[in-house]
Amino acid sequence: MKRRKFLSLGAVAAAASVLPASLSATDFVATAPKAWEAATSKEAIEAMFGTSATVEGDIEIKAPKLAENGGAVPIGIKSKLALTTIALFQDANPRSAVVVFELGEGGVVDLQTKIKMRKTANVTIVAKGKDGKLYSAVQKVEVSIGGCGG
Amino acid sequence: MKIKAKLKKDVTEVKLLLSSPMVGKEEAAAKKIAVSYLTHVTAKVGGKVVWEASTGPFLSKDPYFMFTFAGAKSGDELVIDTIDEKGATETDKAVIK
Repeated sequence: MKRRKFLSLGAVAAAASVLPASLSATDFVATAPKAWEAATSKEAIEAMFGTSATVEGDIEIKAPKLAENGGAVPIGIKSKLALTTIALFQDANPRSAVVVFELGEGGVVDLQTKIKMRKTANVTIVAKGKDGKLYSAVQKVEVSIGGCGG
Repeated sequence: MKIKAKLKKDVTEVKLLLSSPMVGKEEAAAKKIAVSYLTHVTAKVGGKVVWEASTGPFLSKDPYFMFTFAGAKSGDELVIDTIDEKGATETDKAVIK
């Protein structure tokens, strides 16, 4: 266990040391490690953003009503709000946080990705606007065959 | 990785397919395979970050992303950098069409 802890610390330090050169300063895996360990969306959101108080926002989640392949469930995120950070959470896997997107200056909120879901659950988007507010949207996705989330 | 970047009106649409097994600790333990997943992906045009993602193992295997941004023009070079949980990096680029 000690060795594992040491190694993970090393990985974080290594990631942090290369950040200024190749990546931006906001690596949420390095800066909010607790958020990635949280089992529920609420805990993960609190760990990521410091609060789970959000405004039901004008964010559209495009997801299949019934996903046939839980190993790759397509999720689309669209919004006309000026958003800077967009995080995706779900309650279908052992841990909740999936991905955090950050948009540059010319960023348009029109994103797609594919996630694993081993059972039917809610997908939650929490996004930070340029106005500093936290917006959220939730959609339930039914999964007929579970993915390989463990 | 595979990158497609296309300018539609003023907005560049990027389709990105990365290659990573995206195996987290739970899946690694269940299947007795090694943990391996990407933790961060960055997209840059002209040295400026246009999009980035902090990623966890619950993205699908060989993660797919589509994202859009304004401000680039046809012929600009889009550079994608990735880093995994071991700190291994990969980089690739594509010209915006």
